[in-house]
Amino acid sequence: METTHVPADDLRRALIAADPRLSKFNPLPRILAFDEFNTGTHGWCELIGNHDGHGDLDTVDVHMRDFRPPQLSSCDFFDIGTHAAMSGNYALKVATRPVTGHTAVAIRRLTMAQRGVVQFETYFTYKSEAATAESSLGNSFGDIEWDGNLHPSEAQFGAFTVATDLCDGEGIRYHCVARYQNTDLDNRFTRRWIYPVVPEPTPKENLHNQENLSPVEDFTAPDPADWRALDEEPQFLCYNEVPTKVNWHYLRWQFDTRTRTNIELQVNDRVMDMRQVPVPQYADKYDGLENLLNFYVSVRTHSPVRNFLFLDSALISVDW
Amino acid sequence: MRHALTAVLERNSTFTADFATEPYEAGWAAEARWFVKTLALEGEEPALELTAQISPDGLHWCDDDESTARITTEPGLVSLRVREFGHWLRLRATLRGGDPKAKVLIYLALKS
Repeated sequence: METTHVPADDLRRALIAADPRLSKFNPLPRILAFDEFNTGTHGWCELIGNHDGHGDLDTVDVHMRDFRPPQLSSCDFFDIGTHAAMSGNYALKVATRPVTGHTAVAIRRLTMAQRGVVQFETYFTYKSEAATAESSLGNSFGDIEWDGNLHPSEAQFGAFTVATDLCDGEGIRYHCVARYQNTDLDNRFTRRWIYPVVPEPTPKENLHNQENLSPVEDFTAPDPADWRALDEEPQFLCYNEVPTKVNWHYLRWQFDTRTRTNIELQVNDRVMDMRQVPVPQYADKYDGLENLLNFYVSVRTHSPVRNFLFLDSALISVDW
Repeated sequence: MRHALTAVLERNSTFTADFATEPYEAGWAAEARWFVKTLALEGEEPALELTAQISPDGLHWCDDDESTARITTEPGLVSLRVREFGHWLRLRATLRGGDPKAKVLIYLALKS
């Protein structure tokens, strides 16, 4: 028997295709959030660790105390002035300090009304900070020697991450995580998608030893040995040579909170099956995080140069 | 409705020498106000002098001549107003006195 679902779906897709703001996305049936950063931060804010009952910020773990406030950036650069974003003038900029190993993190906090497929889409770009006469590390860095096209700035970018913090029904907490590692810790290009095989350290673990991890530790999974490549194929992205050109990339990532697993990751013309990627759960059960549905993006520099992750826009949709 | 955004630029950070906050890009904002909460100030006659700085590119900086510098000599909260800035802001801090040590919490409150 014919149902109304198919024509309704056709109409829905036609409406999305006809909307210049939405047609660059591929949302699942229900859109939970559509964040065009030209109109504000839309709830993306700095992540920090937890503080005590006295409001004493000294009690925040040192490795989670300095993830930097996101900025609404018009992508201004020293050479051309305002570059601007894709959908408007402003993008969300997540910026590290110029300290090797430093990470900046922006988080968005929701909850789940049901279990099901969740999709995160964004148009993003990533850059290292432009050099000045004073801050320059020279014309050679990592694998790059400046030749008029290739620029050392590209080798000064470490990694960016899209990730979640999820908790459901029985207090089971886990993170689905995907990281683009541009360079390794020796500043050599790897250009791989990688994932962690351990859950993040939590404030409770470090409660009596807040300096257990240093401020430049990789907070998602501190031990480099706890990361695995999704596959052996590097993905070349469009850094576009110098630190002052901004090309926007499409990213679409799906996971399933029924099965607590990843589904797939699409970045431009590449779709990666993530169904076999293990998603470690915490051994402890969590109270107070019922239906937690947090998304975060982070950027980590592997050089003493500020690294930036820019999001033009983001769309979160679900199949429930 | 106007846009408003508060950023925490330093969080319980301790300094023993002059410093500047990380660059903050805010071309969308028409007004800004720094709030500096000095949590501890130690040394011999210590003082913390705060000056708002502006920049066209986040790389090269000058003092904002239109805003008034603040000198703080004891723990507490002070603020500095900045208006009609270029698109980047930071705060420059000079530590004075013998073996000075300052612990600060620094907010930047922005409004369109």
